[in-house]
Amino acid sequence: MPQKYVVCNPDKCLGCGICEFVCSALKDKSLDPSFSRIRQVNFEPTGSMAIACLLCEKPPCVTVCSMDALSRDEKGVIRIDEYKCNGCGWCIRACKFGAITLHPTKRVVMTCDLCDGDPECVKLCPFEGALTFATIEEVTHGLRKGAVDKILRELNKARSESS
Amino acid sequence: MFGYMGKILRVNLTKGEITEEPLEESVARKFIGGRGLGAYILFNELKPGIDPLGTKNKLVVATGVITGIPFPGNSGLNVMAKSPLTGIWGESTAKGFFGPELKSSGYDAIVIEGKAKTPVYLWVHDGEAEIRDASRLWGRPTREVQRIIKAELKDDRVQVGCIGIAGENLVKFANIMFGFNHFAGRTGMGAVMGSKKLKAIAVRGTGRVRYAREEKLVDLLMEKLNSKEALSGPYFPDGLFKYGSLADLGYWQETGRLTTMNFRKCLFPGYENITAETLATSPYLIRNNTCPHCTVGCNRITKANDPYELDPEYATPEYESTAALSSLCMNDNLVATLKAIELCNRYGMDTMSTGVTIAFAMECYEKGKITKKDTDGLDLTWGNHEAIIQLIEKIARRQGIGSLLAEGSRRAAEKLGGGAEEFAMHVKGMEFPLHDVRGMKGHGLGIATSNRGACHLQVETDDMFEGQLDPDVGIDETTFPKEHRDRLYAGPEKVKIVKIIGDLFAVFDSLVICKWTVYPCGGYKTRTIVDVVATATGWDFTMDELMKTGERIFNLCRAFNVREGITRKDDKLPKRFTEPLPEGPYKGEAFPEDVFERMLNHFYRLRGWNKKTGIPTRKKLEELELRHVADNLENLGIIPPTPKRKK
Repeated sequence: MPQKYVVCNPDKCLGCGICEFVCSALKDKSLDPSFSRIRQVNFEPTGSMAIACLLCEKPPCVTVCSMDALSRDEKGVIRIDEYKCNGCGWCIRACKFGAITLHPTKRVVMTCDLCDGDPECVKLCPFEGALTFATIEEVTHGLRKGAVDKILRELNKARSESS
Repeated sequence: MFGYMGKILRVNLTKGEITEEPLEESVARKFIGGRGLGAYILFNELKPGIDPLGTKNKLVVATGVITGIPFPGNSGLNVMAKSPLTGIWGESTAKGFFGPELKSSGYDAIVIEGKAKTPVYLWVHDGEAEIRDASRLWGRPTREVQRIIKAELKDDRVQVGCIGIAGENLVKFANIMFGFNHFAGRTGMGAVMGSKKLKAIAVRGTGRVRYAREEKLVDLLMEKLNSKEALSGPYFPDGLFKYGSLADLGYWQETGRLTTMNFRKCLFPGYENITAETLATSPYLIRNNTCPHCTVGCNRITKANDPYELDPEYATPEYESTAALSSLCMNDNLVATLKAIELCNRYGMDTMSTGVTIAFAMECYEKGKITKKDTDGLDLTWGNHEAIIQLIEKIARRQGIGSLLAEGSRRAAEKLGGGAEEFAMHVKGMEFPLHDVRGMKGHGLGIATSNRGACHLQVETDDMFEGQLDPDVGIDETTFPKEHRDRLYAGPEKVKIVKIIGDLFAVFDSLVICKWTVYPCGGYKTRTIVDVVATATGWDFTMDELMKTGERIFNLCRAFNVREGITRKDDKLPKRFTEPLPEGPYKGEAFPEDVFERMLNHFYRLRGWNKKTGIPTRKKLEELELRHVADNLENLGIIPPTPKRKK
């Protein structure tokens, strides 16, 4: 079973932050986005993007944990043993994407657990195509399709101009 | 106190003093925040007759009790002061990221007093505030100012509200730009900032509002998100996300009410070049944009190279801006319209007032009231988009005729004289919104009686009620059958709707919530808003309290205005609307004076105001717990003294 992860398309994401709300609301019953496992970044006017755990093949967060609190399960999800985690934050610094962070009240780390294989943020994202739950194959297929579509359109344009 | 940060920041720029004061719960509950809180402060602290651009005017930036709670449309702030454009109550709301950030910084509102000697900006962060030098920001365009401040403060999550050169040059309709693509556009609040030499306000904070029942609030919001209630309004699901508010342009053309040629026409021959569909399929639209936690996504960002270069930092069209600078001036060039919007945003000027004032100038030019000699050679023929763009530059810099037009259409017309007054489309000095009210009688009354002059956001258009009901606010099928909700109907029932919506919107501008997500334009029923307020604050907040609060705030703003001399004579529409529509489906439809006067009589009766003067009575004010307002008006001799009881 290929691994699926929460992936954001910056061409479709408008940076509303509903994903943050959904995550913090369902995981911690909080309105504070710092409880969210997915976080949104806005670069105005160019674009926006939300970042959740990328399920790295060789997760540096797991590698650097000296407390043995982090592990990667068969679905690629980073599992956190909240008894072992001491909140030292080495994993937070090791992740280049800011996808693992400290839980504001528990003071242990937290990251996206894919909501048991059916991420709520993806289901409730208001803008079609902005957030998807997909495999690497599905994502790259989409990218290839976009690239070919663009090439074909340019070709057709060039042909109709030259004829 | 739940829902609020509980503190107001007060900044005196003359003395360089910063203090903070508590927000009393009694005031908070009676006036909610936003417009209500600002009106309470300004009514108490401003003496009538002061110069809006003098040191005595104060600027209030206020959020509302639910600002920052993550749900669609709920990210507003309201900026208020005595307006330099109208000389009466001035306010303008802006959405986006600034309001929630201001609250996180520790304050519900900021009151700015006095006047700095040299340009400054205000930096508010986590309960601390300082006045900083802004001399190197003076003269710079809005987005550049924001970038420089973020770099200076070394935090890209700082939110900045700032003015452009129009505000510095005291253009009477200068606005304030909040972050990217959000504006407190109307009534010239940017000029008030400019007069205080306050270039910007920067806020950042990590503070958290406490809510009475946060878990219940989370459940309520999740339920509303799941049911997509916000998107159940008449514009959804297609309209606003797909086309933005610009979708209105095609709608007004189809229904024969598109504001064209300074309101002389109602169909625009070149409309197809500037519709939302045209923009959506053009190469100019690069993406949509949205406010925090909003599922609507109505904003538009555009870019072009030819015939004008468009900077996506500023080229963000919506309906009012587009219609003001295209059809109203007979300009059917899409990129030129976008360029005009871009320049207004870069320089910090209200696109609507700019467009209406330019249309006024074009009519003056056509009728020979101004000539090429006055315009430094600019040919102000209808539709000349090059002239429109050059005129915007002149207005922002107050060069040549630009200096006259920067005063707004009312003052410009007074100065020109000789009948030019008839071409100035304004109410109480504020330029008309892009709505032809001959085909919308309730909306016409709403605009004529609005507390900030010609404003389309204080009472919504009639077309909305035709399909939308909300029994909780009293607009239901039995009380208001279909024929009474009809856009052309001008009877007493319609007047009653105007009153209800006026009170409702007074609360929405106090909360401060976007009208695209609430009844009647958006999907949220008013009951939902009541539930959110009650859950967040723990108050036993009811529908009745919401409506009464709205009426209180509406009357308070009216009292502010009557102190400045507003009476019945000012509640009127421009004369042009008494002339019939010349073409289209509503050809021949006018807004005759007697029909308007009849509506106004009934409106005053419903409001409990003096029918002859339009001044709120003591009885009404006391009923709304505004005794201090009644006493103040009595002391000024505006309302008659209470007869002394015989012992």
